[in-house]
Amino acid sequence: MNVVITPAMIGQVVISGLLSGVLYSMVALGLALIFGVMRIINVAHGPLLMLGAYTTFFLYSAFGLNPYLTVPISMAVLFVVGLVLERTLVFRVIEAPELSSLLLTFGISIALVNAAQLAFTSDLRAVEYLTGSWVIGPFAFSKSRVIAFVFAGALTGGAFLFLKSTRLGKAIRATSQSRDVAMVCGIDVGAIHRLTFGLASALAAAGGALIAMIVAIQPEMGQIWTFKSFLVIVLGGAGNYPGALLGGMLLGLVEQLASLFLTTQLSEVVAYVLLVIVLLVRPTGLLGGRQT
Amino acid sequence: MEDVHKSFGGVRAVSGVSLSLPRGRIYGLIGPNGSGKTTLFNCITGVERCDRGRILLDGAPIQHLKPYEIARRGVGRTFQMIRVFPELTALENLLVVTTGPRAAAEARARELLAFVKLEGLAGEYAGNLSYGQQKLVEFVRMLMRDPSLVLLDEPAAGVNRTLLNELLDAVRRLRDAGKTVLLVEHDMKVVMGLCEVVFVLDHGEKIAEGPPGTIQGDERVIEAYFGR
Amino acid sequence: MRSLALAVPALALVALALYPTIATGYGLRAVLQVFTWIALAGSWNLISGLTGYVSFGHVAFFGAGAYTGGILMASAGWSWPVAALLGGVAAGVLALGMGWTCLRLKGPYFAIAMLGLNEVLRALVSYFEGLTGGGNGLSMPTLDATVPIYYAMGVTALAVTLGARLIIGSRFGLRLMTIREDEVAAEAMGIPTFRHKLLAFLLSAIGPGIAGALTARDQGYIEPLSVFPLATTITMIVMALFGGKGTVWGPVIGAIVLFVAQEMVWARYPYIHPLLFGAIIVAVVLAMPRGILGLLQMKYRLPRTI
Repeated sequence: MNVVITPAMIGQVVISGLLSGVLYSMVALGLALIFGVMRIINVAHGPLLMLGAYTTFFLYSAFGLNPYLTVPISMAVLFVVGLVLERTLVFRVIEAPELSSLLLTFGISIALVNAAQLAFTSDLRAVEYLTGSWVIGPFAFSKSRVIAFVFAGALTGGAFLFLKSTRLGKAIRATSQSRDVAMVCGIDVGAIHRLTFGLASALAAAGGALIAMIVAIQPEMGQIWTFKSFLVIVLGGAGNYPGALLGGMLLGLVEQLASLFLTTQLSEVVAYVLLVIVLLVRPTGLLGGRQT
Repeated sequence: MEDVHKSFGGVRAVSGVSLSLPRGRIYGLIGPNGSGKTTLFNCITGVERCDRGRILLDGAPIQHLKPYEIARRGVGRTFQMIRVFPELTALENLLVVTTGPRAAAEARARELLAFVKLEGLAGEYAGNLSYGQQKLVEFVRMLMRDPSLVLLDEPAAGVNRTLLNELLDAVRRLRDAGKTVLLVEHDMKVVMGLCEVVFVLDHGEKIAEGPPGTIQGDERVIEAYFGR
Repeated sequence: MRSLALAVPALALVALALYPTIATGYGLRAVLQVFTWIALAGSWNLISGLTGYVSFGHVAFFGAGAYTGGILMASAGWSWPVAALLGGVAAGVLALGMGWTCLRLKGPYFAIAMLGLNEVLRALVSYFEGLTGGGNGLSMPTLDATVPIYYAMGVTALAVTLGARLIIGSRFGLRLMTIREDEVAAEAMGIPTFRHKLLAFLLSAIGPGIAGALTARDQGYIEPLSVFPLATTITMIVMALFGGKGTVWGPVIGAIVLFVAQEMVWARYPYIHPLLFGAIIVAVVLAMPRGILGLLQMKYRLPRTI
């Protein structure tokens, strides 16, 4: 492609990358928590995000609520959904071989997507609330992306604070490091699992809610998010929660940079190639994490 | 023939441990929990890669090899927590280890099972066997390749007296057949009664080495076990 | 007892071979579909059922075979039997590439990578429009070859099943299973797990590759959505799981039972297929993780090569 690349373009791309990166980080953090605490690959993570997006959509279109107000509601709804899923289905495969949890969450994910297709149809929906961009100098930033960045940043920061400072957060981290030791310390591991799953679902829902204001949504949207969330975890290192933050930013940056040179059709390929490269070169993640 | 000589400085788990195991004797590796014993085993068998240092088998370095390559060079091990293949039968557990002609392999497998009096359970899924039986299966599975270096990780754990005596007997016979045995064990009676030379680890460092009698009286060993 | 065990399948084979003489168009198509599913589910079983490495993107091999065969037939005018075999080869090459990079890691990472493979291939097909026809699809010269394709697919299904029988009855198969049971212990016992996984993965891709090319010929037209659908992966997984992963005949039984059920019960409600299949997967994983045949095998001490 013969395109002249100006510093301004690079700058725009970098900032866009960071903006979308935080969103990736937030959603991936949820997945990282489930993986770290329960050793489960939650293939249904993307569909949960999708449900969060639809919750926001319906609250907005049916009740005219300010969509940014629906973010906490979406989170609460999906928190409950996550709790229920864990309590009824997921807890049974925690000690089982990986195959089982992969297949189980896979089954849940296709059921959820299909249910959504039935309920909402595959038509694209969008929440058009904040349109247009803010222009600062040579850079233009879509308003909804900036606000999403703020929300996602706040939520991710809040999540980290929770993990670091509160008793529950510490219990989660303890269980994540060693389930047996946690049990011996009197931590109700079952409750921690439920809480983690709910929390992760809430984070995914927040992601979905914010995305609903940026792009059009449809039931199948979750799939690629599941994959990208995993990519972020691989980048940052399994079990390395701050790593998820950096991994998300990195993914956002790489994607935006790639869009300068490649068509959008290939953006998914970029993510994939990145995954393969990282897996080959540093499978423990760029920041070093736990091997499964 | 020099069996193993290692010196390596590791992070956290093992710091600058050097051991030399001349062939054909039974060695014990003891130390309080967390002293790095299993890590050492893992380094020998290639499950972990040591950060510094070398591990030599018969004079040839093996620290960089993959676990299966090390196994093929004649290193056999059992695990702290039994790792039989539960959905394979006892016979299949043994069979799976070798690559030669099937008939010969099967004959040898049955022979080994008979050695530990489990020939009747050859067709039973390993997951259905009792703890002691699984332990025996894991033991003879390790022998299928006729290893020259045998690593036993807590062979006495959870085993009743009779079975234990059988196991110890079997270990002595291995030594008599010219194999080198290194075992990690917490049961002091076993260690003192079976091992010819004992190494003591504490916090990743070797703090003592010698025949059981000497070790028992060693101050540093007593300190390591009973606190400071 | 032995002769009965041989007689039943032999009779079935003869019946299937003679079927085209009396079949209706619909019936022929239906059995052809079952053959296809047997080839797919049986192949998926080779990697995921035996080694425990779940391949979520296995339909990628079907699609790769379809496009390779399709391009050869449409643009280069090759005959379909040769194109089909090359479809299998192409799938095998893809498996080698994917496997070499992704199988060296533990199960979860492999699963993740396979999850994305499908989407990537679909994107690539769209991108290289000149060669593949992109979103408009690829058409082949019309040819009524349903009956020969029926036989070809039948042979493919048979080959996959016999291949499974050979593998599962051998020590190679046992070694693959140890990877599922305890990969660390397997390595400690001298088993080169990476090589084994790679070989299993390669073998598991050939069947779908050939089936893909045959299907392309049969349909006469392919497009990215038709040969890379997630639904195909889902279906082959459900069939293998339901019938019994890790067994020889499990995928066959799963394919037959679920296909019949699909035609009879759910054809009326096509919109809830995935939901139902998802529910079945969940139910099977929780209640019957070894599938029907696996359950019977454990309970009645049936031989491993069932």
